[in-house]
Amino acid sequence: MDKLIDDEMLVAQFQAGRQNAFDELMKRYKSKIFSYLLRSVRNYEDAEDITIEVFFKAYRALENWQPKAKFSTWLYKIASNLAIDYHRAKARNPVYALDDAEIPETHLVATDIHSDPVKQLEEKERGLIIREAVDQLSPKQKAVFMLTRYEGLQLKEVAETLDMAEGTVKVHLHRAVKRLQTLLRPLWENNDI
Amino acid sequence: MPKCKKSEGQAIDYAYKVLPPAEEVPFKEHLKNCQDCTEAVESYTAALELTDQAQAELVVPEYALRNIEMNVYKRLAASQEQTWFSRLGTYFTSVGSPFGRYKTAAVSSVAIALIVAAVLIGKPPQPEQTFQLTEMQSAEARIEEYREQGIQWNLEEALITHHLRNDAWETESQLNRMKEQAQGTSWTKVADKHLQNLQSGTLNKTQQN
Ligand SMILES: [Zn+2]
Repeated sequence: MDKLIDDEMLVAQFQAGRQNAFDELMKRYKSKIFSYLLRSVRNYEDAEDITIEVFFKAYRALENWQPKAKFSTWLYKIASNLAIDYHRAKARNPVYALDDAEIPETHLVATDIHSDPVKQLEEKERGLIIREAVDQLSPKQKAVFMLTRYEGLQLKEVAETLDMAEGTVKVHLHRAVKRLQTLLRPLWENNDI
Repeated sequence: MPKCKKSEGQAIDYAYKVLPPAEEVPFKEHLKNCQDCTEAVESYTAALELTDQAQAELVVPEYALRNIEMNVYKRLAASQEQTWFSRLGTYFTSVGSPFGRYKTAAVSSVAIALIVAAVLIGKPPQPEQTFQLTEMQSAEARIEEYREQGIQWNLEEALITHHLRNDAWETESQLNRMKEQAQGTSWTKVADKHLQNLQSGTLNKTQQN
């Protein structure tokens, strides 16, 4: 299908009964939504399940969708809400949370890294430590950070996506970056970047 | 440690490249003479670069994306079945009303048995055969389409494995996987034919049917 047909046009076609238009929308966004969710939940299976749920919900709601915002923003909104629900549910279930290796902040600071630098700072380990640091952000901080940094959304679009004022988006963003800096500082203070 | 009075937010925005243009030039000027802010910007930048590298390692594999559409339609079909089931429940409750006050647990279990039977036989009840059902049929048609697409992908992959890597064992297991997926369709015959050809050494990449 022609890429020149914009998303909103496809939505209109779908609303007019053209099923293929929805398939085209899924084709366009499945990779983006999956990646976004994978970064957020850090588990392939869960990311896949939530991706399916995003499109399922979209399909159901699209009939009454009004083009007030971009289709993509709306889709990210569904995905973000589901991701936030997921993190909340996980937080309520400590057994599950432990299983997913939510390392407390104290485990991530310099002393631990010094104790076994070779092992700790192997590439993979480091990637893991960093992603775990991202996991320590609150669900909203995380959503703001991911949407702006990796999904290319403007602050205004993030505000729409997460139903927040733009100023609030900025506050979450600042807290997210500050927290990451605090958590990750030991990694570069040990000259390992 | 002396702390500069400039807003910390500006240092973050600058490192994040979201500082409003009007603030950027004055802040750059400020950085020239402020050690605190320079260090702050450097450490935020370092944290962000590390995070970007770690996030870049998270890649969604192509195969994980293949079944998304089909599974969305499966999800839609399942939710339709659910709606349908609950409607059946409502229907039987209203049908059950002539039993009036004699409506007992036994009656409900008969109703449940009837619902299960109806679902198993696949005959929709008369009362609510509308838009929802058409939508469900369309979901099922889509599931079939995507299933067929998946079968074709697997076949293609098997042929590529055979052609490029000449790995008979892997080709065979891919063809078997395809056959399994094709259960109940004519594609199983295609799989069988390819398996035979593989065994007799006459399988080649251009052969599709
Ligand atoms: Zn300063």
